[in-house]
Amino acid sequence: MPQKLWREPLDAQKTKLPKAEICIITDLCKGCGFCIEFCPKNVLEQSEQLNKKGKHPPEVTDESSCALCGFCTAICPEFAIFVVEKKGENNVGNEEKE
Amino acid sequence: MRLESTLIPKKIRESAKYCHECGICTASCPMAELLFTQYNPRSLLQAIFIDPEKMLVEDSLWLCAWCYKCFNRCPQGLKPPEIFQLLKTKAVKRGLFKGFKEAVKKIRNSIPLPVICLYTCFHPERAEMDSKLFAEALEELNTRRKLKKRKKTAIHKEKVAVIGSGPAGLTAAFDLAEMGYPVTMFEALNEAGGMLRKGMPEYRLPRKALRDEIRYLKTLGVKIKTKTRVGKDVSFNDLWRNEFKALFIAVGAHKSRELGIEGEGLEGVVDALDFLWKVNMKREVNLGYKVGVVGGGNVAIDAARIALHQGAKEVMILYRRSREEMPANPWEIIEAEKEGVSIEFLVVPKKIMGQKGRITGVECFKTQLGEPDETGRRRPIPVPGSEFFLEFDTIIVAIGEIAETTFLPAEVETYKGKILVDPINMKTSMKGVFAGGDAVTGPATVIEAILAGKKAAFSIDQYLTETKNREDTAW
Amino acid sequence: MVDRESSKEEPRIGVYICHCGLNIAGTVDVEEVTRFASTLPNVIISKDNRYTCSDQGQQLIKNDIKENNLNRIVVASCSPRLHEPTFRKACEEAGLNKYLFEMANIREHCSWVHLNDKIEATQKAKDLVKAAVAKVALLEPAIEAEVPITRKTLVIGGGIAGIQAALDLADTGYEVYLVEREASIGGRMAQIDKTFPTMDCSICILAPKMSDVGHHPNITLLTNSEVKEVRGYIGNFKVKVLKKPRYVTDDCSACNECSEVCPVNIPNEFDVGLATRRAIYTPFAQAVPSTYVVDKEVCLNKEGIMACDKCIIACERQAINFDMEPETLELEVGTIIVATGADVYDPSALLNYGYTRYLNVITSLEFERLINAGGPSGGSLIRPSDMKIPESVAFIQCVGSRSEKGNPYCSNVCCMNTIKDSLLIKEHWPRVQIYVFYVDMRTFGKGFEDLYRRAKEKGVIFIRGLPAEVVEERKTRNLWLTGENTLQNKLYKVNVDMVILSVGIQPCQDSEAIQRFFTLSRTNDGFFMEAHPKLRPVDAPTGGVFLAGCAESPKDIKDSVTQASAAAARAGILMAQGKVTVEAITPKPIPENCRVCGLCAQVCPYNAIIVDKENKLVEVIEAACAGCGTCGAECQFGALHMRHFTDDQIMTQIDALTEDDASKKIIAFCCNWCAYAGADFAGVSRIQYPPNVRIIRTMCSGRISSKFIEHALSRGAGAVLVAGCHPGDCHYIGANYQTKKRVERLWKKMERLGVNKSRLQLLWASAAEGERIASKINEMQVTLKGLTTKEVEKAREAFSDN
Repeated sequence: MPQKLWREPLDAQKTKLPKAEICIITDLCKGCGFCIEFCPKNVLEQSEQLNKKGKHPPEVTDESSCALCGFCTAICPEFAIFVVEKKGENNVGNEEKE
Repeated sequence: MRLESTLIPKKIRESAKYCHECGICTASCPMAELLFTQYNPRSLLQAIFIDPEKMLVEDSLWLCAWCYKCFNRCPQGLKPPEIFQLLKTKAVKRGLFKGFKEAVKKIRNSIPLPVICLYTCFHPERAEMDSKLFAEALEELNTRRKLKKRKKTAIHKEKVAVIGSGPAGLTAAFDLAEMGYPVTMFEALNEAGGMLRKGMPEYRLPRKALRDEIRYLKTLGVKIKTKTRVGKDVSFNDLWRNEFKALFIAVGAHKSRELGIEGEGLEGVVDALDFLWKVNMKREVNLGYKVGVVGGGNVAIDAARIALHQGAKEVMILYRRSREEMPANPWEIIEAEKEGVSIEFLVVPKKIMGQKGRITGVECFKTQLGEPDETGRRRPIPVPGSEFFLEFDTIIVAIGEIAETTFLPAEVETYKGKILVDPINMKTSMKGVFAGGDAVTGPATVIEAILAGKKAAFSIDQYLTETKNREDTAW
Repeated sequence: MVDRESSKEEPRIGVYICHCGLNIAGTVDVEEVTRFASTLPNVIISKDNRYTCSDQGQQLIKNDIKENNLNRIVVASCSPRLHEPTFRKACEEAGLNKYLFEMANIREHCSWVHLNDKIEATQKAKDLVKAAVAKVALLEPAIEAEVPITRKTLVIGGGIAGIQAALDLADTGYEVYLVEREASIGGRMAQIDKTFPTMDCSICILAPKMSDVGHHPNITLLTNSEVKEVRGYIGNFKVKVLKKPRYVTDDCSACNECSEVCPVNIPNEFDVGLATRRAIYTPFAQAVPSTYVVDKEVCLNKEGIMACDKCIIACERQAINFDMEPETLELEVGTIIVATGADVYDPSALLNYGYTRYLNVITSLEFERLINAGGPSGGSLIRPSDMKIPESVAFIQCVGSRSEKGNPYCSNVCCMNTIKDSLLIKEHWPRVQIYVFYVDMRTFGKGFEDLYRRAKEKGVIFIRGLPAEVVEERKTRNLWLTGENTLQNKLYKVNVDMVILSVGIQPCQDSEAIQRFFTLSRTNDGFFMEAHPKLRPVDAPTGGVFLAGCAESPKDIKDSVTQASAAAARAGILMAQGKVTVEAITPKPIPENCRVCGLCAQVCPYNAIIVDKENKLVEVIEAACAGCGTCGAECQFGALHMRHFTDDQIMTQIDALTEDDASKKIIAFCCNWCAYAGADFAGVSRIQYPPNVRIIRTMCSGRISSKFIEHALSRGAGAVLVAGCHPGDCHYIGANYQTKKRVERLWKKMERLGVNKSRLQLLWASAAEGERIASKINEMQVTLKGLTTKEVEKAREAFSDN
């Protein structure tokens, strides 16, 4: 069905997905770049800063579009990145049933 | 059979058979609104297709103000102004002037700024009307001023300020003055008239006609403060707090958009409005041999034609879409082409080239039309690798004009160089502040500005009366 | 030229000139043509007849054949595309082989297109009869081969039309493949809330049919699938279908656990973007199949990378499998039903209505989802800006219909749909003020007028005159509509809370692809053209293909269902017969002329010619050959005898047509499917053009050999027109590309010989483009007018050597 979908869906607020908080332990990072390369939402980018290991750890460009899939956590060889649900946000989405 | 009349070429007659009488033309027509549907293009068209002979003496024929709004919206793509034009020409040829004379009476009685409108909107000369009749019509229109009472005494004490003295401002001032409000008009330049003075070449609108109209306005008691730019010489808030109970912003669209490409600062790249202004001020302009005009609106067409009049040997308009999308008045396009202006479609300048600080020409892209953009017209997309070079001595940039809105307080909402108003009553988001004309719509025709001024005057009166009543009851 | 042994008998020709009431006789002097025909060689009988196609007319021919021992028949009447089968049957009944019959088209190609020129029309009719008589004398008897029909049907499109057609055929006992592009069948009807005029719940009456399709033993349902290639011909189609993976197996119990954990939330197409869905989802509750589907476009798991496994973990039945691959299925079917449906018009192009700028301006399809109990608002009519129930609404009719700016045609259903919608609102919220702005209310069907009356009774206000503009009041987000009430000649300004644009229907975006697959024609509106608008309304011009639903024209549910059942019946008839005869128009090799160069095999679009260079043999596989004649046109040695369109037969037609006044004439070669049909269409539409054109029919423009064109010029013809289907639309795959090459070669040759090359024109015109053909003929008059005797002579000499 080819019609343009331009509206914000009426239930967009109700079905909002949980917000993510991405935590990066910069000094553990060894700069392999897996998380940046494989993030399906492309929310990570290599930063300018140098960590203790002399590597460029990743930085978050757009936290709001993180889908909380946790793939970065899964592939990080140094356990330097993990994602948690942001507290205090309105997270009704997943409890909703038809 | 009447329908087989040769008055209307077969092609037009056939296309007009598809008129479903949806009424969109009449509802879009500023003249229909000004004349409270005494003028109705839809029923006029219908009558023409039933019996064109009979309609030759019809006054309605002459009341079309050539704004082409009907054509822009007609679902069947009909061009009522041009169909009427065919009949007008025929009527003149046959010496049937009754309709024209009747129309002049109607214009005199109901249209503000009638003389200006005769020159800039109704264009009887396009029907090869001879100059004697035109002069008679002018005289007739001028009698209006004599007929009306010379000076109105102000019967209201609420003072109204009108910012800008173009057609919208003039109309509002007239109407408000006639209602009995003390009106003060502010004009940044040294003489009133707005775009009528700045952008209209003399051959379109003789300065005398404009001055007469303004003089008459003064006799009605309107104060005109020229050389007073609101925001510089006097602040908006001063006006608002001190004297005036209502404000009408009719500053027009005087700020030209820029191309935003390399080489725009070169000598020989001119802004269209500045160019027109200089010509109208009879200042010298040196265009050289070959002139390019970038844009497809009425200003671009005017600039191109005037460039020819000013002695340019070759004038070429560069427009980035195709003829169908061109926003300029179709009749003007045809006239310009007749005069020898050439129009290059589907090109967009990439870079203005120059030598020693002076322009030598323009490098252009060919474009292709893609999906419609937010204006509904198909978006031009430059074709990579299609660059070609055009030689020019002067480039006139006329790619759209917007309103100068920096003097407005934040309470008055604007969007992309246009003041946002409620189109029904011309109210802005700030209470007591109204706006209309090109400042709201972007560059448009004189008749549309007049309608805006008229609506604003009505609405301001309503607003002031309501406020007064409320204050009265409060006391 | 080759002598054929088959026509041993001396021809004894009967000619019948039809009046067709006044259709022909009103323009052509039929008596004169009859008299003329009797003077032609071998003509034994020449008669005129009021209606030759009537029983008496046919009987007359039959009797004459028997009594006068006629062995060739010519009927000059309408297009052979209309009545050739009728007369061929009559001949057969009288014991005459049906290939000994020929028609002259003096109605569509003559009387109807030259209404105002009786003298020239009569002259043209004489010419056409002369050519037909000349050709018929050379015709040969033939026996048609029979091909078995595969008793299976492919239905393309799973909307209500496709569903109905599939069920009807499956119930009759045929095997059916139903191919649907989306994840579920149901189509547009599933989106609609209620149906008019009975106000039945749409999904309630559709869902049982959908589930029948899902369970029917004779139906193979292929959702998420698209037709990719079609080969073959009536009775024996080979279709490639791409079945995209769902990534969910049939073990899915539709429990929704996967959807709930899916981290991708996007607008739902089924709800026109008014509600959201996840990347793993089911389009709607009643979907068939109910199995969920992964939208790989938005899923986090891109090619080869499994970034997210939330759904897999959530699925207790382990039904999710990301390893699924797309499959290409090869189906063999005998008949095909095209039910690809329609799209709705996108009103954002109409700036003055503000769709996409103003939140509270919605389309009628969005309205259906809003008022539907299963929709995003739970059936509550709310306006999008503040979710409040509006106090007043306005419907605007003809949005994108009957307009040069949208589609020029009437979309057929919007008037009734609006009336239905207004009644629905009145039913639930009687106080809502409803305005309907219209140009004409069209309530033509059974029970429609009653519904209109009911709406008026309930207080719906109908105002004639469309709004010129819709503007939003910024604070309240209410909308002002300004327009003219054209019955009162007054301007109106109406303030409402919500505006519903009654959008039209337009051909679906896939129409072009489908058109190519089956070499169908489309009307100017873009909908598929039927074989005959009155008498074969569900047959496509391509044999074995049938049309149903909105693919053919905008129609409501009842009409779609009716047409679907009709299409099923038509397909059923073919399959019940079990076999189809192949026209005896395939080529026969003449070994003694053949030099085994292999050119014929190279140009054959069907690979139906096998060249055995060693044994110096050329063989034609008749079942694969479709009879376009391209091979015959390319053969330089006269080694392929194109049955029923032989070189001799066409040459003699050219001779007959160029006998007198050749330099003033245009000899036009038209392919049967597009150009000839287009000229027929010009006739039916009474499009007038100059009468100096003489059309010769071939099956394909590929048959038009250079020597025909050269022959025409050597006979002094003023100009030659070669006309075929648009490139890509050829009914014989790509045979018309050979036509193009050939004409281009000839142009070069003409240039070389100093012959004005504008005397040979090439035109691509579809069966719906009568206007195009007429304008080409008009355009060619200029060439003819400027033509000098010297030039004609030069061309005559230049080409007569060949």
